[in-house]
Amino acid sequence: MTADRSVLPSNYPPGDLAIWIFILAELAVFAIFFAAYAFTRLQHVALFNEHQLTLDREAALINTLALITSSYFVVRAVSAIKVGDRRRCVHWLLAALSMGLLFLIVKSVEYVQHYSEGINLSSNIFYMFYLSLTFFHFMHVIMGMVILAAIAVMAARGRYSRQEHTGVESGASYWHMVDLVWLILFPLVYVMR
Amino acid sequence: MQYQSQAVAKPYFIAAIALFVAQVLFGLIMGLQYVVGDFLFPEIPFNVARMVHTNALIVWLLMAFMGASYYLVPEEAETELYSPGLATLMFWVFLVAAALTVAGYLLLSYSTLAEVTMNKLLPTMGREFLEQPTITKIGIVIVALAFLFNIGMTILRGRKTVINLVLLMGLTGLAVFFLFAFYNPENLVLDKYFWWWVVHLWVEGVWELILGAILAFVLVKTTGVDREVIEKWLYVIIAMTLITGIIGTGHHYYWIGAPEYWQWWGSIFSAMEPIPFFMMTVFAFNIVNKRRRDHPNKPAMLWALGTAVMAFLGAGVWGFLHTLSPVNYYTHGSQITAAHGHMAFYGAYVMINITIISYAMPLLRGRNAANPLKSQVWEMWSFWLMTIAMVFITLFLTGAGILQAYLQRMGENPQPFMVVQEQISLFYWLREIAGVIFLIGLVVYIASFFVGQNDPEATTAS
Amino acid sequence: MKQLSETLGIRPCTLVYLVLIALSLTAFLVGRLGFSGLGVSLLVLFLALIKGQLVGSYFMGLGSVRGLWRWLVFIWLFIPGILIGMAFTLSYQ
Repeated sequence: MTADRSVLPSNYPPGDLAIWIFILAELAVFAIFFAAYAFTRLQHVALFNEHQLTLDREAALINTLALITSSYFVVRAVSAIKVGDRRRCVHWLLAALSMGLLFLIVKSVEYVQHYSEGINLSSNIFYMFYLSLTFFHFMHVIMGMVILAAIAVMAARGRYSRQEHTGVESGASYWHMVDLVWLILFPLVYVMR
Repeated sequence: MQYQSQAVAKPYFIAAIALFVAQVLFGLIMGLQYVVGDFLFPEIPFNVARMVHTNALIVWLLMAFMGASYYLVPEEAETELYSPGLATLMFWVFLVAAALTVAGYLLLSYSTLAEVTMNKLLPTMGREFLEQPTITKIGIVIVALAFLFNIGMTILRGRKTVINLVLLMGLTGLAVFFLFAFYNPENLVLDKYFWWWVVHLWVEGVWELILGAILAFVLVKTTGVDREVIEKWLYVIIAMTLITGIIGTGHHYYWIGAPEYWQWWGSIFSAMEPIPFFMMTVFAFNIVNKRRRDHPNKPAMLWALGTAVMAFLGAGVWGFLHTLSPVNYYTHGSQITAAHGHMAFYGAYVMINITIISYAMPLLRGRNAANPLKSQVWEMWSFWLMTIAMVFITLFLTGAGILQAYLQRMGENPQPFMVVQEQISLFYWLREIAGVIFLIGLVVYIASFFVGQNDPEATTAS
Repeated sequence: MKQLSETLGIRPCTLVYLVLIALSLTAFLVGRLGFSGLGVSLLVLFLALIKGQLVGSYFMGLGSVRGLWRWLVFIWLFIPGILIGMAFTLSYQ
């Protein structure tokens, strides 16, 4: 948490510069995907509006809350390591991971549902975008969880301390990016019509 | 040179450079055949010259990758190579197989070559870049397996660095994806899939890992920057390469009968493929700026930075030019593709191999760190001659490609292929001139190995 | 945010978290109650952009960074936000 660091503003965001370059690249891909969605919708408004109603908004809400909550937990994990509390840091990270897992389960149930209805990438242009966007994001959730898990293991082994915790901050930044993307994806694909 | 067994790299490097010369000579022959159609006909028809040009490129790059691995893996692992004897044996097997194959291309008709090599038993011939007879392909697999075994065992028993592991990952991928070359489905769409899984996943996937590892190695050695900083960059570059490269395969699926969503997936992800190359450029300059010492081997540094820039331009920018599906609709298979191919292969893979050769050769020849000044000056001249010539080859081909796409595929009255070829011949002539300058650069490069050899070694102060 | 959180006696990030939850529930209810139309869509989009900015400034910590990096998430939200808003506005023409 920013207020916790109570230090002078720095020129670089928390974590490694390399992870931020990576985040920048990832955000660019999603931005292009979002804009492509919006402008393709322009040509097929009726089709998009019709099929958007078939999506499970409740599931998407649960997933939104899960990601926001896990992001919050990660913030607490960073705060914990900043005061040198390794155990707390690991606990918050595990809590965040469990929220990530919840996201994966809910989203998988949705996919199974679509699959059993015979919906796939070639069904129509709306489902193409819906499945592509959410699945690409899904992969990022997995990737983010792998990173968080690795950090949790290293934190448990005592690799981080009050002075040196760049790794935790880098992983946290990546995870927030995964959350951030979903915050736009959710209203765009599930709600806006 | 810290380990005796690193010396096995030397014949690989020398053979690679020899094949490089062959590649460029056949390139010039072909370049001339673009404008003087019957040049050297019937001795060397265009299709044969093209086959030799592209196959020699692939083989010499592979040779140099192997040489690079034999050089850097022991040093990174801090142990002697598992089996130097096997490495040397494989060198001769590879060289003889390559020589026989090229001789087969030049002396026999392709159909006769297919017949005498018993292609019928396991048909794999006839696909662009994978024209090699089946037995040659089997030979490549054997060499690759022995090579991987040798490298893998060395890494296993020594220090495990990120550079070594990334390199091993790239080399393993290289060997695994080559196996798709053995499957030749009747269905044309499937055939194209498997073909791209070799060609694309090599050059826009696993080879980039090899490139990253070699570049990181040379930068660690020449700048003295902390390994940790370099490794961190390597991780990020690799993750980005794999994400964009693998899904970016979709840019080959636009017109081969694959589902429509590939238009989107291919366009969006391959549009991101320049990013890892851009990161590599930022990475290289960043590291060089942070350098803790000035290495006396100036050309190696020049080639390393050159790789970072030219790979981004050739693979990144020139790839992006025609990767979006609405653009590719007009430019597919035109001279734009040739322009991209030339600068990307030169900028990424030729230059990274010359980088490691430039760094390692003086050490392999028993020097402390670098060549004498005179030799270095010649080598740097060759860098500029070849690189600038390649920039011009690319620009001329791009000009030809834009004109070709316009005349042949757009506008009110699209014209037939050969009519258009006639109209863009000026560009082909200019390209050929640039090609001759490239050859001069290559001659200067080779000469740099021989000039001023009795002078004292260059030091940082000079 | 900081002052309000001090008044409430909770961490600033906890306050941000609660705001994010509230905004998400609002967006969901808009969809659930079947509201539609350009105004509603743009409102939902705007709420999402606010949420994104909160995550960027407070969770990712860009709020206490100087220079270009501070604006990373803002710019990322702004450009697609404008494009999406434009495309949806056009779809109502």
